[in-house]
Amino acid sequence: MIPAAFDYHAPASVDEALRLLRSLPDAKLLAGGHSLLPMMKLRVVSPGHVIDIGRIQALCGVREDGRALVIGAMTTHWAIESSPLVRARAPLLAECASRIGDIQVRNVGTIGGSLVHADPAADYPAAVLAVEAEMTVVGAEGRRTIRARDFFTGVLSSAVRADEILTEIRVSALPPGTGQAYLKFPHPASGFAVVGVAAVVRLRGGRCEDARIGVTGVGPTAYRAEAVEKALVGTTLDDRTIAAAAEHAADGVEANEDLFATPDYRAHLARVFTKRAVRAALERAGRA
Amino acid sequence: MIIRLKVNGEWRQADVWPGASLLHVLREHLGLVGSKNACEQGECGSCSVWLDGDLVCSCLVLAAQAHEREVQTVESLAEGPRLHPVQEAFLEAGAVQCGFCTPGLIVAVADLLQHDPAPSELTIREALAGNLCRCTGYAKIIDAVKLAAQKMGNA
Amino acid sequence: MTAVVGKPTKRIEGLGKVTGSARYTEDLQLPGMLHARLLLSPHPHARVTRLPKAAALGVPGVVNVVTEEDLPEGVSSNLLARHGEALYSGHPVAVVLAEAESAAADGVERLGAEVEYEVLPAVLDPREAMRDGAPLVRRDAEDDEEAAAHSTVDVKGGKETKPRNVANTYTFRRGDVELGFKEAALVVEHTYATGRLHQSYMEPHATVATLDPVMQAVVVYTSTQAQFYVKAQVAKALRYPESRVKVVAMTVGGAFGGKFMLLEPLAAALAVVTKRPVRVVLTRREDFLMSTPGPEAEIWLRTGVKRDGTLVALQAKIVFDAGAEPGAPASIAAVLLGGYYKTPNLLIEALEVLTNKPPNGAYRAPGAPQATFAIESQMNIMAEQLRMDPVELRLRNCSGTGDPMPNGRPWNRMGMRQVLEALRDHPKYRHRERGEGIGYGVAVGGWTGGVESASACIRANTDGTFQVVLGMVDITGTATTMALIAAEVLGVPVDQVQVVIADTDQAPYAGASGGSKITYTVGPAVKAAAEDARRQILAIAAAELEARPDDLEIAEGQVRVKGTSQKQIALAEIARKSMSFGAKYAPVYGNGNLPSPKGSPGFAAHLTKVRVDRETGEAQILDYVVIQDVGFAINPPAVEGQMRGGAVQGIGWGLLEAMTYDDQGTLLTWGFTEYPIPKASTTPPMETVMVEVASEFMSFGAKYAPVYGNGNLPSPKGSPGFAAHLTKVRVDRETGEAQILDYVVIQDVGFAINPPAVEGQMRGGAVQGIGWGLLEAMTYDDQGTLLTWGFTEYPIPKASTTPPMETVMVEVASEFGPFGAKGVGEPPVIPGGAAIANAIADAAGVRLTSLPVTPRRLLEALREREKVS
Repeated sequence: MIPAAFDYHAPASVDEALRLLRSLPDAKLLAGGHSLLPMMKLRVVSPGHVIDIGRIQALCGVREDGRALVIGAMTTHWAIESSPLVRARAPLLAECASRIGDIQVRNVGTIGGSLVHADPAADYPAAVLAVEAEMTVVGAEGRRTIRARDFFTGVLSSAVRADEILTEIRVSALPPGTGQAYLKFPHPASGFAVVGVAAVVRLRGGRCEDARIGVTGVGPTAYRAEAVEKALVGTTLDDRTIAAAAEHAADGVEANEDLFATPDYRAHLARVFTKRAVRAALERAGRA
Repeated sequence: MIIRLKVNGEWRQADVWPGASLLHVLREHLGLVGSKNACEQGECGSCSVWLDGDLVCSCLVLAAQAHEREVQTVESLAEGPRLHPVQEAFLEAGAVQCGFCTPGLIVAVADLLQHDPAPSELTIREALAGNLCRCTGYAKIIDAVKLAAQKMGNA
Repeated sequence: MTAVVGKPTKRIEGLGKVTGSARYTEDLQLPGMLHARLLLSPHPHARVTRLPKAAALGVPGVVNVVTEEDLPEGVSSNLLARHGEALYSGHPVAVVLAEAESAAADGVERLGAEVEYEVLPAVLDPREAMRDGAPLVRRDAEDDEEAAAHSTVDVKGGKETKPRNVANTYTFRRGDVELGFKEAALVVEHTYATGRLHQSYMEPHATVATLDPVMQAVVVYTSTQAQFYVKAQVAKALRYPESRVKVVAMTVGGAFGGKFMLLEPLAAALAVVTKRPVRVVLTRREDFLMSTPGPEAEIWLRTGVKRDGTLVALQAKIVFDAGAEPGAPASIAAVLLGGYYKTPNLLIEALEVLTNKPPNGAYRAPGAPQATFAIESQMNIMAEQLRMDPVELRLRNCSGTGDPMPNGRPWNRMGMRQVLEALRDHPKYRHRERGEGIGYGVAVGGWTGGVESASACIRANTDGTFQVVLGMVDITGTATTMALIAAEVLGVPVDQVQVVIADTDQAPYAGASGGSKITYTVGPAVKAAAEDARRQILAIAAAELEARPDDLEIAEGQVRVKGTSQKQIALAEIARKSMSFGAKYAPVYGNGNLPSPKGSPGFAAHLTKVRVDRETGEAQILDYVVIQDVGFAINPPAVEGQMRGGAVQGIGWGLLEAMTYDDQGTLLTWGFTEYPIPKASTTPPMETVMVEVASEFMSFGAKYAPVYGNGNLPSPKGSPGFAAHLTKVRVDRETGEAQILDYVVIQDVGFAINPPAVEGQMRGGAVQGIGWGLLEAMTYDDQGTLLTWGFTEYPIPKASTTPPMETVMVEVASEFGPFGAKGVGEPPVIPGGAAIANAIADAAGVRLTSLPVTPRRLLEALREREKVS
C-alpha cells in the first residue's frame, strides 16, 4: 500500500502554506495525516502536492484569550486530552479527545485535521457543536470565523474553502452549574463513533436553563438535536423527562447505514446515547 | 528526497521518495526490520515507534514528516545482552507467541510505563487498544505489563 | 516423576522476538530482488478480454507483467486466474514485477485502469448455487457438469442426484432416525448459521523465491505452517524434481490454519521466469481479499430426547460455502456434530457448495466451531425445555472412550466427561450471580486430534550439549516443548539442548504445524530419537567404565554408575570420543553410521621437476607427480581432488608461504597481496596415481556409531481434546450490546509439558472464540465484493474488549501422546460461540441462532420478543 507519487512541501508559516495552496494545482493539506494517508495509500485520493502544515508551530498548542480557550488547529488529540487548561475550561473537548482511536492515533491526529476532514463518524464534531465553538480560518481574503453549526456541510465536507486553512478553535468559558459529557458507541474495529453524543446542560435553581446536544455518527454530518434541547429546557431534568426528550434525538435525520448498524438501529442508538449523555452531564452539573 | 533523522541515537540519512512511510524507511533503507508491517492503516500497532518521544504508528507517518526528527525503535531497548525490563517481562510472563505483534507491543508498553509507572488493569487494556494480537488473547501481555511495572519500580 | 517436562519454561526463541531480531519473510532483502504486486479482479466472475501490459510496462521500474498463460509450458502458479477467468472478486489475474514496490503499485494501478473484463454470471450464496439453472461457479466445471449431473449421492436411504455446484457430499447414518424421533418426548429443530472468518494472523502472507544456480534449484523463503507440503507442491507446480526445491520456513507471524500454502508456487514460478529473486508480500487488504479464510456454514439440526434427557435421535443437514474451490471442512463438522453425544439414531448429510467467493482454508479447528455452535445451542434449548441443568444433560449423554463417532470409528481416550465435571463443580458455575442483563453460558467442544508421521534426529556436540534437528515449524513454542522432551529423556538440563528448525534440504520430515498435532506427533519422534541417542551414549559409557548400560544413569552432565560418582564419564568426553580427530572410537563421519576402525596409515610419494634460475634464485616447478595409497577410492574424483589440493598446498609450503610478523608482533603478511598462495598461473601440471592397498579394518559393524539418533514414527492414533467454557455476560437491553464479564476455560490437555505454552493456547483460542461469538464475519455485497477488509471494518478482539479469563486444565492422559500430552491448539476455540449464545439466551431471554451476535442483531431479537409478548 503505497500512495501515488506527489511532491512534498513543508511550509514554516501559515502565510507560506497559503501561498503554496494558491499556487499549486491539485494540492492537499497534511495535518496529522491519519485520515489523509490511509486514503492516499489506497489511492482513493492521489494529490499531486502535499503541503505538510504539521510543522507550523503557530498552529500548535492551547492558550487562553480573555474568557476564551483557544486551541491551535494542529494540536494533537493527546495534547488536548492531557491539557490541564482544556480539562478545566472545556472538559467536554478533553473527554471527547480521550475517546478517539488509540494512543498511537491520538499522539499524531489533530483537532483541525479531524474537523476539516468532517468524517460523519468523527468524535470532535459532536463536541464542538455542543460547546458552540468558533473556527477561525484564514485565506486569500483574510481571516473569518465559522460557527460550529455552520461548519459541517456534508459528508467529508466543511465550510473551509479549498484555499483556506483552519487555524484555531475558540471555545467560550461556560458558566458555573454547567455539566458536560461525551458518550460514544465505538465501532468494534475502527473505533469510530457509530453514535457519539455530546451533552452540555446548565442548571439554575433546579431547572435546566440551557441544553446543547451534539450528535455525531448518525447522519451525513454531525448536528444539534434541537428538539431534544427544547424538550429539556425549563424542566427539572427528571429521568422521565430526559427519556422522553431523548426520543427526539434523531428526528428528521436520515440515518447512515453500514454493515454494523442499520439506519433504524443507529437512530435508536442516538436516542439511547442522548439519554445517557444528558444524565451524565446532569450528574456533573450537580457536582459542578 | 534526502531525509535525515536521528534513529536510536544516531543520525541517519536516506534517499527516499515522498510517499514512503517512516516504517518503510526504517525497514527497507535503514535495516531496522524489528518494526513490523502488518496492516498499513494504523490499526494494529505492529509498527509502533517513538517519534520525538511520542508513540506513533510508523506506517502512518510519511518519511518526510520525520525529517530532522528523532525516532526510537524496538531495537533501541536492549543494551547489548541486557534486555529492557519490558522485554524481560514479556519472556517471563509468556506474553510472546508468534512474535509479530511483539516489537510494537514492547514499545507501546514501555511508553505506557513512562507515562504511568503503575497502571491499573483497565488503564493497561485501554492503553494497548491500538496494538492487536491474534495469538495470546492478551492476558499474558497484561501480566507482562504488571511484571514490568514491578521490575521498573524496584529498579 | 518427571524432571524437566511439565515445568514452566521460557520460550527458547523468545529472545529474538522481544528484541525485534527474529527474521520473518518480509525482513529478507536479496540482491536484485524484484517486487511483485497483484492485479485483482474486481468482479466475482469474469473473463479478462483485454490486458494491455504496456500500461504497466510504461511505468519506470516495471520489468514484467505476467499472467498464468505467460508461465512456461506446464508450469502453474496455483493462484493466478487460468485462461483469464476470475472466479472471485480479488482473484489475481496478473502480476506486475518491478524494481521497487512503488513502481509495482503504480504498474498495477495503470493496468487496472485499462484492463477489460467480460462479466460472467456469478453466484454468491450456496443455497442459490444449488438451484437448478444457477450459474456455474467455474466454467471449467461445465465439462464435468454432465458427469456431475449423473453422479448420485446416498441420502436418506435413496439415491439422489448431486445438486448443481456441489463439490462434495458426505452422509453418515446410524439406526433409524424416524423411529428415534417417535421415541422422543421432546423434538427440537433449529437452523444455525455462522459467518466467514479470516484468520487475521498479524503477518500477512509473504514469500521470497530465488534461484540457486549452483544447485539448479529454486529456494523458497516463506511464512508457512507446512514447509514439506510447500516443497512438494512447488515442485509439482514447476514440474521440478523435489530435490530441486528447497523451502526455508521463516519465523511465522501467526497462521491458525491459513498458511499452508498460498503464494509459494507463484513466487517460485516468477523467479524461474525472471531469473531474479522475487518478493511477493500481500498487503493487509489483499490478504483479506485473496487468502483462504474459514467458511460460512448453515446447519439445520433436529434432535429428540426422552423425558429423562436421553438423546434418542439426531438429524442434520450441513451446508458449507466452500468458495471457488472444494475443501470446506463439511465432514469434520458432521463427525463432531453427531459425535459429542451418544445417539442411537442419526442421519447427517453434509455438503460443500461452490460459490464465487475466495476459496476456503482452515481456520483453527476447521468445521468445529460451526458444528459446536449448533449442537451446543441445541443442548441448552433442550435442557431449558426439559427443566434440566444444562451441564447435567450433557453429562447424561456425553460420549466416552470407545463410543462410535458418526463415521463409525471409536473415540480414543477422551476427557469430555472430565471437563464437564470440572465445569459442573467450578465455583463460578455453582454460584451463578443474578442481576440485570447478566447471564451465563456453557458449551463443550472437542477435536479428534490430528495425526501424521514424523521424524527427528538428535546429535551430540563435543561439549556435551545436544542439537535436535527438526523439520516442523514452530509458531506457538513447540520447539521449547521438543527441547523439554529431549532433555527429559537424555537426563540433561533443557539449556543443554538446542532445537534447530532446518530447511527442507536438511531436516528430517515433519508434517504441517496444524491440527493440534506437533507436540503429539513430533514429540514422540523427538522422544524416540532421544532414547536412541541415550542408548548410544550409555553403550559408549559402558565400554569406557566397564559397566553394564543398565547400571548407568545420566546426571549432572555425567554418565555414572547408579548411586556412585566414583565411576563416571562426562557427556562431553563421550561425545568427543565418538567425534574427533584421532579419536579412540570412531570418526564422526559415516555412511549408515560407519564405525571407527583402528588407524590405517596412508602414504604418498611425490615427484617434482624444477627449473632453477641461477641469476634470480627462482625455482620453477615444471612437472609434478603425486602417488598415493588411498586404500580404496569410494569416490575417485573426490579422492583425486584431495590429492591435488593437498599437493598444491605442499608447493606453498615448499616455495611460497610464511606468515611474517614484525618485532611488535604485528602481522605483516595479511591479505593476499602480501601472503602468497599458489595461483592458477603458478601451479604446475600435475599427474596423480592412486595405489589401493585395502585397509584390513575397513568394515561395517563398527564398535560405536557417532551419537546421532533417529526417531521416525507413522501417524499415531488421534487423541481427542475437549474444552468446556463458562461465560458470564451482561446484556444492555437498550443497545443490544453483550459484554462478557467473566470467562472460564476448562480443557482436557492430557498432560501439559510446558504449562504456560498450553495456557497460552487456551487463552488465545478462547479469545478467538469470542470473535466467533460476538464480532467477526466477513461480509460481501451482492457483487461479491468484500466489505469487511482490514482491521478498520473487521473487528477482532482487542485488549480493551477482552474479558478476564480463568483457565482450568484437566489432565486425562492420552494413551499415545508424549507423557500423555494431547493437542491443545484447536479445542479452546470451539465452544466459544455456543457458550456466548447460551449466556445471552440466559441473560436476555432471546435465542440467537446465527453468529456473530452483534448488538444490532441482539437488539432486533429483543424487540421482536417484545412485540410477541
